[in-house]
Amino acid sequence: MLQHLKDIWNKITRAKPDLVAFPEVFEHFQELLGDHQRVMELIADLGEKSGGEYIFDRKYLIDTTEEIQNLILHMVKGLNLISSNRYLDLYSTIDRIFIPLEAELRGRLTLSREMPYVLALREAPPDRPELIGGKANALSIIVQNLSLPVPPGFVITTRAWRRFLEHNHLEERIHGWLEAWAAGEVDESHTSRQIQYSILAGVVPQVVSAEIRRQADKESFWAVRSSAFGEDGELTFAGLHDSFLNVPTKGLVKAFKQVLASLFSPESLVYRKRMGMLGEEAAMAVLVQEMVASTVSGVIHSLEASATEPDCLVIYASWGLGRTVVEGRGPVDRYVVERDSPHRLRRQEIGRKTTLSRRLAGGGEEVAPVPLEKQEQPTLSEEAIQTLVRWALSLERYFKRPQEIEWALDDAGQCWLLQSRGFLVPKATVPQSLSETCAQYPVLIQNTGGVAHAGVSAGVVCQVQSDADMNRFPEGAVLVTKYTAPWLARIVPKAAAIVAERGSVAGHLATIAREFRVPTIIGVEGATDLLEEGLEVTVDTKSRVIYAGRVKELLQYELLQTMAFEDAPEFRLLRRLLTRIAPLYLIDPAAPDFSPEGCKTAHDVLRFIHEKAVQELMDLPRFAKRFKGVQIWTLVTDIPLGLKVLDLGGGIDPAAEGSKLHPEQFRSRPMQALWSGLSEPGVWSTEPVPVDFKGLMSSFSKSWGETPGGSGTAGFNLAVINETYLNLHLHLGYHFNLIDARLEPESSRNHIYFRFVGGVTDLTRRSRRAQLLAKILSQYHFKVDTKGDLVVARVLHLPQEDMQERLKLLGRLIGFTRQLDIQLRHDEDIPEFVEAFFHQMMERLDAGDTGGKYESQ
Amino acid sequence: MSPNKLRILVLDDEPIVCKRLKPALEKLGYEVDTFTQSPEAMLQIQQSRYDIIITDLKMKEIDGMQFLSEAKKRHPQTEVIVITGFATMETAKQSFQKGVFDFIAKPFKLTEIQDVVQRAATKIRGAAA
Repeated sequence: MLQHLKDIWNKITRAKPDLVAFPEVFEHFQELLGDHQRVMELIADLGEKSGGEYIFDRKYLIDTTEEIQNLILHMVKGLNLISSNRYLDLYSTIDRIFIPLEAELRGRLTLSREMPYVLALREAPPDRPELIGGKANALSIIVQNLSLPVPPGFVITTRAWRRFLEHNHLEERIHGWLEAWAAGEVDESHTSRQIQYSILAGVVPQVVSAEIRRQADKESFWAVRSSAFGEDGELTFAGLHDSFLNVPTKGLVKAFKQVLASLFSPESLVYRKRMGMLGEEAAMAVLVQEMVASTVSGVIHSLEASATEPDCLVIYASWGLGRTVVEGRGPVDRYVVERDSPHRLRRQEIGRKTTLSRRLAGGGEEVAPVPLEKQEQPTLSEEAIQTLVRWALSLERYFKRPQEIEWALDDAGQCWLLQSRGFLVPKATVPQSLSETCAQYPVLIQNTGGVAHAGVSAGVVCQVQSDADMNRFPEGAVLVTKYTAPWLARIVPKAAAIVAERGSVAGHLATIAREFRVPTIIGVEGATDLLEEGLEVTVDTKSRVIYAGRVKELLQYELLQTMAFEDAPEFRLLRRLLTRIAPLYLIDPAAPDFSPEGCKTAHDVLRFIHEKAVQELMDLPRFAKRFKGVQIWTLVTDIPLGLKVLDLGGGIDPAAEGSKLHPEQFRSRPMQALWSGLSEPGVWSTEPVPVDFKGLMSSFSKSWGETPGGSGTAGFNLAVINETYLNLHLHLGYHFNLIDARLEPESSRNHIYFRFVGGVTDLTRRSRRAQLLAKILSQYHFKVDTKGDLVVARVLHLPQEDMQERLKLLGRLIGFTRQLDIQLRHDEDIPEFVEAFFHQMMERLDAGDTGGKYESQ
Repeated sequence: MSPNKLRILVLDDEPIVCKRLKPALEKLGYEVDTFTQSPEAMLQIQQSRYDIIITDLKMKEIDGMQFLSEAKKRHPQTEVIVITGFATMETAKQSFQKGVFDFIAKPFKLTEIQDVVQRAATKIRGAAA
């Protein structure tokens, strides 16, 4: 196609040999578009790779990151050439974003200056066990992704530990003592005493203790636990490091040191030596959480440990604080509950509980006798059991490993989750007949679709087509849907698996599915017919098979046998890279942070460059000069658009002559699609709308200059097109529309970006219109962001005909909303107008021309 | 070991490749040994026979080319699948016109390699029948 464009360009330049500026601008702009497309593809690729279907290595990550950086650098160069170097700041932006990425790739970021000493659990960055330790990492995921009730708290990071060592000049001394022990010169208890003493005698640096005090800003009692890197991961270290319960705020700094010291207990030293970890840096983080006033506490094993009843989980419970169960201090209650819904209690064994651990008023804990009448009383109600079972299964589903979970019940009867870690169940060998066993289950769907997230899960099919469907979506069901609409995101955490007929593995919903580790397959034509409501199915997106029924053998094999790929270092690294590459934060081009400094990610930089490049191209004061002599077409139509068209090649009928263009001469596919909506009879209502007084006054007092987002194109609008691309800037009355779209046979290259802003009347009403647009667009599976009266909607990678339908919709919307905000008097009017719009459209649409929209919500 | 289980050796110096291929192939009913060090794998093929060998090309110490020549020399019936970086794919194909069952470019899909392995297995079983 590029050759084609060049040919066309050559034709133009031959005709006007005196032009110099435009060819360069044009070529840079073309290159910029090409680079933009390529970077978007690379970002989508990275996202897709994080779903587990691919095997990739570190080299792939290094190469891809480097390619993204080079392309963006090239784009910055191009933008600066177009704009006479007005965006040189972008070079330092690129450094700011890519230097940490390189550090990540070299594995050197964790303890850099960027990392804090103390962090609230709620705000901990994802996937940083080397910063906050295994235990806190799991908890922060549970708080942030699974929304289970975890006592609030914070983490004193491994960076604080390093700072503590430096401050007290301990590093080399500890190293020396460990070497002496490894050489057999001293025994472990001597070594341990030396190290622990020096840690306890150390001074916690002011910067660290101040941060601790800032987080623990009230008089309270805390549980202080170790969260070492490596702990709770492949190696369990279970019980090797100390925990301190019921610590008063003033005792936190001391407890911090005590936990650090426990990293060097004799048992811990021996364990690390045996595991061959002595040479490695020990990295200790410390977790501090508010104490739960627990009346009952215990442990759940999400799978029965001896696996004699693999269809059950087991809850252990006792009175008081958790030590009784965790440290095995005597008989406790044991509840054996079925894993399958409705989670029947198969057996309860009530132990005679003679002692309990409880809090002391001033801090600390004590062991006390259990009153006689409570000794043989069951500790848990049916309701509490059901809550705990639900948690256990959802934790297991997320972490994809059997879980060992500590929990507590407070004096108000509320359940709290204290921690959850992988639980080692003896590995089953591969059943000889797994494939044969699976073959006995009817296969409903096979070898179709793209894998957004790899995994195996089972549940009952629930088809979702509207808001109402979402509200009745049960925990653990299999979501079956026509499109990967972004509004489905809300139920993703509840889904056991997701099967969609259409959408993109690089789209928003796929990203959310990966975040929640929900096995997801997209592009399964006919799924909504084949997977009937209420049918129980097993979805294996690793092998792209959907079975009828619950394939227990396969589910258990996956749970016990395979590594959760999400925990592999390469995947963790990729997810960390993605947080600096993929998200888009720059939404509003009129916002003050829409600047090189405001760019947080590579995607932001891309967005910024694209926006500015288009703006430069359409910078009107210079436009006339720049485009002097270039063929600019004037569209001739009844609709008062005042549209000028710049064809980059193939966008209009070659037979067109002169400077006037008729709509039927468009050859640009996205333009044709948009036009088909815009020009529908009745869409372009020129009749005056009834205006109420307030709206009218506001529209009188409003001036052009207030319209944000545009570059002040008084008088005419511009479309830049080629055969498959459209960039349209459209000022209509007081509205500003921007559409950027690509439409090709290969759906992974397709996108629509739509922006809408401004309007007559006050901001409240304009916001109402923004909400209305958001509602309509999201029903067409756009990912929509609104801010005040700004609407930004994006949709990716749908097949050409779906994209065409959506462009047609945008055409209609542009007409429909032109004066709409004047009519929107109340928020309650919004649903009515949404209905009116759909109604209006449905009347006009031919049968089968619904573009896959679901019933209105 | 079951008599009808085919044996596969995987050699790649990136541990992630071995870690993920092993369960994926075991699930299909193969017996899988993985190596990240080529000399160790070399030693292994001198002692034991594999039906299928999956190897990377670019490795430290003994490279994939040398490794697979040795494997083929010992057991010409062994089917070899070469995994290689996307950039080196063409060179790889040219160098091994003969004797290699198939090539797969990194990064690759699990299902992709599973398919190739299944095809190789069908060929082996067909030859044995």
